[in-house]
Amino acid sequence: MTSELLHSIFNADFLFVLIRITAPILFAALGAVIAEKAGVVNIGLEGIMMISALFGVLFAYWTQFWLVGVLGAMLVGIFLALVIGFFAFELKTNIILAGIAINMLGAGGTIFLLNMFTGMKGNTGALVTRELLIPVVNIPLIKSIPFVGQVLSGHSLLTYLVFLLVWIIWVVLYKTPLGLNIRAVGENPDAATSIGVSVQKIQYIAIAISGALAGLGGAFMSMYYSQGWNSGMVAGRGFIALAAAAMGRGEPLGTMLSSLLFGLAQALRTKVSGVQGVSSYLVSAIPYLVTILGLVGYAISIKNKLKKRQPAVKGV
Amino acid sequence: MSSDKRLFLFNFLRGAAAILLALLVATVFIFLSSKQPLTSLKYLLLGPVISFKSTGAVFNTTSFLTLLAAMIPTIFSGLAVCVMFSANQFNLAGEGVIMLGAFVGGLLGIYLKLNTGLHQVVCVLVAAIVGGLIMLIPALLKVKLGASEMVTSLMLNYVIMFVILHFLNFTFADRSKGATQSFPFQATAKIPEIVANGTKLTWGLVIALVFVVIIALFMYRTKWGYAIRMIGINQAFAQYSGIQVGAIIVLSQVVGGILAGMGGSIEMLGRYNTFIWRELPGYGWLGITIAILAKNNPIFVPVAALFIAYLDKGCQLMAINSDVPFEMIDIIQASIFLFFAAEQFLAKYRQRIVVRIAQRDLALQEAAGQEGSKS
Repeated sequence: MTSELLHSIFNADFLFVLIRITAPILFAALGAVIAEKAGVVNIGLEGIMMISALFGVLFAYWTQFWLVGVLGAMLVGIFLALVIGFFAFELKTNIILAGIAINMLGAGGTIFLLNMFTGMKGNTGALVTRELLIPVVNIPLIKSIPFVGQVLSGHSLLTYLVFLLVWIIWVVLYKTPLGLNIRAVGENPDAATSIGVSVQKIQYIAIAISGALAGLGGAFMSMYYSQGWNSGMVAGRGFIALAAAAMGRGEPLGTMLSSLLFGLAQALRTKVSGVQGVSSYLVSAIPYLVTILGLVGYAISIKNKLKKRQPAVKGV
Repeated sequence: MSSDKRLFLFNFLRGAAAILLALLVATVFIFLSSKQPLTSLKYLLLGPVISFKSTGAVFNTTSFLTLLAAMIPTIFSGLAVCVMFSANQFNLAGEGVIMLGAFVGGLLGIYLKLNTGLHQVVCVLVAAIVGGLIMLIPALLKVKLGASEMVTSLMLNYVIMFVILHFLNFTFADRSKGATQSFPFQATAKIPEIVANGTKLTWGLVIALVFVVIIALFMYRTKWGYAIRMIGINQAFAQYSGIQVGAIIVLSQVVGGILAGMGGSIEMLGRYNTFIWRELPGYGWLGITIAILAKNNPIFVPVAALFIAYLDKGCQLMAINSDVPFEMIDIIQASIFLFFAAEQFLAKYRQRIVVRIAQRDLALQEAAGQEGSKS
């Protein structure tokens, strides 16, 4: 059994699946990174993914063009994030509660909206045809390299985009004035205010970007990953994304690595549940357990670092 | 009118405005989506307590009693959230811990041999203890390692659910039944109905109300409750004034876990005959809505729980009798969440009241001062 399992894991197919499974988590996790850097907790990622996933399908169906679906999902994501921002910044609703409200809309509101717009219940069924899915890209040259081609070529456009975004977001955060402002607001809002940065404006921008990313993650889910929208689709990915961002220390690259770790746990689940004698339920728990353990590991490493630093500080 | 009363009245009216606004949002959606909006609204708003017959509308006692029965688990989860959120601990594991409490209580109800009376007490107590212990995970991770209790508790919900499903399917399943479920609870473990009329209104409600009082006393009459609230208001201040912040943060979440575990087991042994939950029950999230409506004050939890039970029933009836889906409730709940928890919602009026009170007090003081100087 073990050798069978190992064999099924260490092959090109599995690595391909790993990348595919990681992508939606990474979208939302990057959203969490941007928000967190500006000192904003966006727990609404889960709900934003659900709602924008639905609207991605609907927009694509109404216009019969997948790109409109993707852009629509992104805009819906931005809108919802701004709703969270409006309630949190203007009306002083606790931002965690505002996020939970969006998650509620995501869980039940989507079913309601789907019913309202199409009369369908629980899933979008036949709305999504092949032409409306996010197109798959076969990279010339790379696709013909054995193994590497099998792993890296043939993903959806958004899959490549999300890994590109890791780099883009790093550049935005560390090489642009906007990024500097975002980090300043997150680290010390008073200092940022004192040099004339509008904390609120920067936080609005950050949460909007975070919503856009979660929106793209939603579009990825409904318009590529599960080829249609259904009510159990996001399944905690928005929450896992928060954990991935926390474990990745709020840095784009670290977050990509921790997202890959969660992706690995989920990909393992799909592999292992097919094997006889293994409980699919316990395997299903693995990604979430890994998340907790990952957070613990990360927290311990931080703690140790601080301990090492302390004597030096005392010496001064 | 004293200034306290005025502010209280304002807060009450503000809450009512928030709820009305949420219902208004619901009405708009109903008119947008329904072909028979008035019928839908009738069932949503009146259905839970009034049955419509050809002879006219009658108050439906049975339906009202089922509303009270529906409050049992949500009072517990509402209390749990009150205690945890009061300390600013956004622990969201109530959902999973209720399921765990129900599972533990249920198993003991199946396999333990005890006399009735003692049997229920043991089931519920053990479920409560397990609930409290499992909350140590997010609590200690927060206090010792600084890991976000929000993230760990969210993950914990899923872990608990899948582990329970594993044991339910592979260890404790009653294979003679078509669907996955446990063996039946023994009669000695069942929590009986107050009046045997099928409304599922069990003695659990009485226990829940007793705990409302206990938790209210705990929060407002003990030093621990004071410490919990103080941490929620200003953690740094609490620390400087000598409160052991870490220990109290752990305490708040353990108390939350105890309440959730207890609520889960009481609901399971009261409403069901076998353990049949195959997903998270949703009471944990309802508890958050209830705690928000109650402004984290335990005394208001039953009122909030009744309101939520009413809405839930209303949405169910609306879904059955008209073309609006049950999920409407999530839209209403989300709107309540946003407006009710919004501190600045109608804040201008609050400001006006506060200013007016201050002006009046100043005027009174001046008048008193002048009289003093005259004499």
